[in-house]
Amino acid sequence: MAFNAVKEKYRSKVGEVVLGATKEQGGTRAYTITVGGEAALPFLHFEGDIPNRPVVALEIWDVEPTDWNDCFKPFYADVWNDPAAWAKKCVEEFGADLIVLRFKGADPDIKDASPEDCAKVVKDVLAAVGCPLVVIGCGKPEKDNLVLPLVAETAAGENLLLGVAEQDNYKSLTAACMVHKHNIIAQSPIDINICKQLNILITDMNLPANRIVIDPTIAALGYGVEYGYSIMERARNGALQGDNMLGMPMIGNVGFEVWRTKEANASAADFPAWGEQETRGILWEATTAMALLQAGIDVVVMRHPKAATLIKQNIEELMVKTSFDE
Amino acid sequence: MGLTGLDIFKQLPKTNTGDCGFPTCLAFAMAMAAGKASLDKCPHVTEEAKETLGAAAAPPIKLVKVGTGDTVVELGDETELFRHDKRFYHPTAIAVAIKDTEDVAAKVANFNELEFDRVGLHYVTDMVALTNASGDAAKFKAAAEAVVAGTKKPFILISEDVAALEAAASAVADSKPLLYAATNDNYEAMTALAQKYSCPLAVKGNGLADLSELVEKITKLGYKDLVLDSGNRETSQVLADLTQIRRSAIRKRFRPFGYPTMAFTTKEDAMEEIVQAGVYLSKYAGIVVLKADKKENLLPLESWRQNLFTDPQKPIQVEPKAVAIGDVTPDSPVYITTNFSLTYYIVEGEVEGSKVPSYIVPVNTDGISVLTAWAAGKLTGESIAKALQINDMESKVNHKTLVLPGYVAVLSGSTEEATGWNIKVGPREASGITKFAKENFAK
Amino acid sequence: MEKVSVLFFPDNLIAHVEPGTSLLRAATLAGVELKSNCGGDGTCGRCLVKVKDGRVNVKSTGSISQRAKQAGLVLACQSTVNDNVVIDIPKDSRLDEHQVLLEEKDILMERDEDLAAGYDFKPLCRKVKLTLSEPSLTENVSDLNRLQAALRNEMECGDIHIGLHTLRGLADTLRTGDWRVTVTVTQLNGCADIVHLEPGHAEKPSYGLAIDIGTTTVVVYLLDLESGMTLGKKGTYNKQARYGDDVITRMIHASDDSGLNDLHLAVVNTINQLIDELLSQSHVSEDDVHIAVVAGNTTMTHLFLGLTPKYIRLEPYIPLASVTPPVKAEELGLKINPSAYVACFPSVASYVGGDIVSGTLITNMAKAEEIVLFIDIGTNGEMVLGNQDWLVSVSCSAGPAFEGGGITFGMRAMKGAIEYVRIDSETFEVEVSTIGKSRAMGICGSGLIDCLAKFRDVGIIDRAGKLQTDINTPRMREGDDGWEFVLVWGDVTECGKDIIITENDIKNLLRAKGAVYAGIRSMLKAVQLEEEMIDKVLIAGGFGNYINIRDAITIGLFPDLPPEKYVFIGNSSVKGARLALLSQDAYREAQELGKKMTYLELSVGNDFMDEFVSALFLPHTDMSLFPSVVANNDQKGE
Repeated sequence: MAFNAVKEKYRSKVGEVVLGATKEQGGTRAYTITVGGEAALPFLHFEGDIPNRPVVALEIWDVEPTDWNDCFKPFYADVWNDPAAWAKKCVEEFGADLIVLRFKGADPDIKDASPEDCAKVVKDVLAAVGCPLVVIGCGKPEKDNLVLPLVAETAAGENLLLGVAEQDNYKSLTAACMVHKHNIIAQSPIDINICKQLNILITDMNLPANRIVIDPTIAALGYGVEYGYSIMERARNGALQGDNMLGMPMIGNVGFEVWRTKEANASAADFPAWGEQETRGILWEATTAMALLQAGIDVVVMRHPKAATLIKQNIEELMVKTSFDE
Repeated sequence: MGLTGLDIFKQLPKTNTGDCGFPTCLAFAMAMAAGKASLDKCPHVTEEAKETLGAAAAPPIKLVKVGTGDTVVELGDETELFRHDKRFYHPTAIAVAIKDTEDVAAKVANFNELEFDRVGLHYVTDMVALTNASGDAAKFKAAAEAVVAGTKKPFILISEDVAALEAAASAVADSKPLLYAATNDNYEAMTALAQKYSCPLAVKGNGLADLSELVEKITKLGYKDLVLDSGNRETSQVLADLTQIRRSAIRKRFRPFGYPTMAFTTKEDAMEEIVQAGVYLSKYAGIVVLKADKKENLLPLESWRQNLFTDPQKPIQVEPKAVAIGDVTPDSPVYITTNFSLTYYIVEGEVEGSKVPSYIVPVNTDGISVLTAWAAGKLTGESIAKALQINDMESKVNHKTLVLPGYVAVLSGSTEEATGWNIKVGPREASGITKFAKENFAK
Repeated sequence: MEKVSVLFFPDNLIAHVEPGTSLLRAATLAGVELKSNCGGDGTCGRCLVKVKDGRVNVKSTGSISQRAKQAGLVLACQSTVNDNVVIDIPKDSRLDEHQVLLEEKDILMERDEDLAAGYDFKPLCRKVKLTLSEPSLTENVSDLNRLQAALRNEMECGDIHIGLHTLRGLADTLRTGDWRVTVTVTQLNGCADIVHLEPGHAEKPSYGLAIDIGTTTVVVYLLDLESGMTLGKKGTYNKQARYGDDVITRMIHASDDSGLNDLHLAVVNTINQLIDELLSQSHVSEDDVHIAVVAGNTTMTHLFLGLTPKYIRLEPYIPLASVTPPVKAEELGLKINPSAYVACFPSVASYVGGDIVSGTLITNMAKAEEIVLFIDIGTNGEMVLGNQDWLVSVSCSAGPAFEGGGITFGMRAMKGAIEYVRIDSETFEVEVSTIGKSRAMGICGSGLIDCLAKFRDVGIIDRAGKLQTDINTPRMREGDDGWEFVLVWGDVTECGKDIIITENDIKNLLRAKGAVYAGIRSMLKAVQLEEEMIDKVLIAGGFGNYINIRDAITIGLFPDLPPEKYVFIGNSSVKGARLALLSQDAYREAQELGKKMTYLELSVGNDFMDEFVSALFLPHTDMSLFPSVVANNDQKGE
């Protein structure tokens, strides 16, 4: 009995989504990033082409975070009152492939920043960095429905990735993305069916499927990451088997989720049996990201520069081609 | 591929005697197809059927045990490629490498400390991997004895030098260590050694084609307690190899690969090692051998292992812990719902949207929704009372009024009785919460 | 005045009416609905019937054609009766034929034709007239032996049983009748049981009841067991409803003895009331009803027999009994002959009951070579799949939406219920038709299925069932419970209120249809079969007089199979009970079916939940499961 590699025969592949636009394309980005396009399960190069490596984004806020762990201070304390400088440091010093700008400050309960303020921050950040930009609202639909359309208008032509659209609130963002030519994050609550339904609803509004990035909602390691893992794994299998409404690249807010956990933040003094805090926190973030990469995530949104570096290195190693052909 | 329930049913007597403990032959057949019943439970099955079904029922991946007693590590016997299809059964064993040139006793003592308590679970670092770095048989043997003296947990003896391995194995064979490894150069002697001491044997190939041939040679010698190592060490290639071995075994029933696997990290930096080990753990490795031996390194990895090997068929649940939405005060309303995650998150979203700071108390209903939980007697006055109590709601708020989901308005009486709280019946659909909160709680 | 009888063919339904009653009225009393657009004025010419036997007084022939007159047709509304008559009803005159709707494809009318062919007419109970030889000093066996010997001569039977009560009267009865005697014999499982003795040779036949106990409604058929004719059908709401609309609430109420007794009495009273009506309508005496066959879901059967259903509700969902022994009517308080047997259909599991066994019996699927899917949509959706080799069943909580429950203007399929809807895709103007062509009161299941399909079709809702509030019509408005769509304006409804459909109504409907479809998918998955492998689908349930299969597929309620594979069989539970009443073989088959069916518990694992959520979409999250719907949409898009 001789060994013959088992290669799956897939009917389809993941769609490609282009983020950002260069001058020639009507924007101001120094380069664009293409995500998706996989014709194989994660990093199984032997069974199909994986044209684009997953990318690592670092997350910045429009307001200075007050509740981030002290271990972030050495990296960000000098810049986090200035989103543009923060973004620049993330790209230039920490090697972020792209920036996720989260409008925490737009939250009525935090700073209630006006849509105009938010639009200005987007302009500033775009001027400071050359990478494509992802913009995420504060998470409160009424406010986001004011902020995001204005951001979309202000940054028309930049081909941003804007989020998030949810099942109960997708129309205004979808419309904004249609008119001003941006991409959309379709977020569903750890449910593959709702994920798919939302994609159908959005494409029913005539936004093309290749402008959608799926956020199936992930939890941190130890807090249900396996559910997000399985949803991503199922979605990717579905995409390869020809289900177009699951055939979009996937994004996950790893840093945001991880740094809310006790395991990432608790000091060694409080939990001596868990070992040293910063290493533990970095690995909590990196392990969450590593797992999701194995399930098919395309855009990993991270927070700790050291964790981001570990994951970029892991991706690089996993992108080494393999083959069982003689 | 396995047989379907209907395929198996065709071979059964179809008499519905119930002697197997299942109400009908079809129910029995379906349980068999799902691996939840075995054919010997049917006293009426024909010899012919036994033969046909027996071959199909053999597990695609052999179960291999390392060690003895309570700490025995079970490897293999998996049936799936994806955890969502059913579940993974035997968690990857994590082995910490110790060299026989180090202070083995001290290292083993440190290894013993690598256990964790988290969310009510106990995580264990499973094995020691003792390497014969010294190249010296006597030293290796002494080190092996030190391992046995220092821990009850199973271990791996790593040396391709048959003499050294024999020296160590002969001393500690009772502990049933995994012998690593049979290669093209030594497999006859190694197999004889494993047979002699009836210890499981690792087989190290030079790529998968070579590995499959080597396994066949060894099984022809009559030994089948094997653990496979493709011999590759680059992350991407090891991932491909581990996947191929698992696929070949499950999808093609390729017998040479019907054994558990093992993988080694190569990184020197402990954090990089954890990420690399995580990849192998995610994708099918039976054992991962690594050097990292600090708690902050192993806790994340073992947490991921715990997550990955849970049963995905269980409904997604949230912790049955009271959650404060917004800036709650002692006047804030208290909403009751269940700990089924979908139900909970819908309620959470609506309560958040109502802009009235509130508590949500998810009652533990084993993760089922409000109506189903009520129907099954899991959402009752008593279970609500218990939830209020364990969350100590009486001290969190200064009132005694709770909001009951509208669908279970019938529970009002029994809840009032069991809790002593006043009942306000909320809307049937979560979408009515905003309006409800405005009418009832807005200042 | 002596009443006269009017027998309607081909239904075999009888009305006993005062002389001078119109045939139209008599038909209504007998339970036959005739077309009557003019309301009995003699002007529309729709209620044509043929007098087969006897004479009627014709007041007017209205506008009926010469040819119709020559064929012996009269207007039912213009003809009165003085004597017993036999009337034949032409197909065209029936209201329930839905002439208008039949012109459209894909509309399935209820079919009552010989679904259960292949069973011999061998009623469970019948009267046997015996003439015994007189005893003498030399021929001196006991009366009972004499009777048994004579009975054995007359019919095939094993052991012959007789109850003490009946036995006590034997000696005198034989002698009163001068050794001629009529014996009422029940044969349930091979052995014969003498339940009644009458001196002489009785004229009257033996009667039996087929009873369907539903959570919401109870239906009783009265049968003449000599001829097999159905003398009457009556249905009403289950009086248990006052203890809760759904099974669960009732189970909770029945957890103590007094609650159990409440529910037991409520259902017995419901049945007794129907029996009363049926018996007086057909002039049959209580004492002449000698058997009843009952089909109900597991909980209903428990409550009817006074067995506690407490543990059905709790994991691991165990019923007290799935097969129950036949009992005597007097033990239950049923108002028929006290020694009559009452036999309940066996159940399969806690949530697949005797009603489904009964339905499965009538579908004949356990004798089919092809793979049949049987779907019974009530408060629970129950499904059976299989053929002669195997049968699996599932139950899913669909909710009462298709019976009108939980829907703002939902109602059962009775007069005034909207059963058909058309909506203009430009103006969103609505055209409805109601049962009985009367003013609209509410919407029944067929109408709700129609609504959902048409709403989606013209874009009133999106695929998630959300009302599209930006469409330009005053019918879309914000009401007390959020957004709603006005189906019929109040000025033309029976209640004077606008008949609306709210977003929550749509959610409930989506859940109901999602549960049914998810049940079907889970069942197919469990046996690893594909939808295409289903050869035939039988639909039962109380949503209306018909079902629009195309619409039901468009909303994703039923699998996307060619409409010709579907048959709508109405209330299959009572029909199965009737069949068992008329055929001992069928009764035995039902007992076997209970054992043969494999119940699949959907609450184990996530599969059902997953299927359910994916079905909460129009038609479904996985569009590839509904190719014909996709093709249809594409066509429209062009």
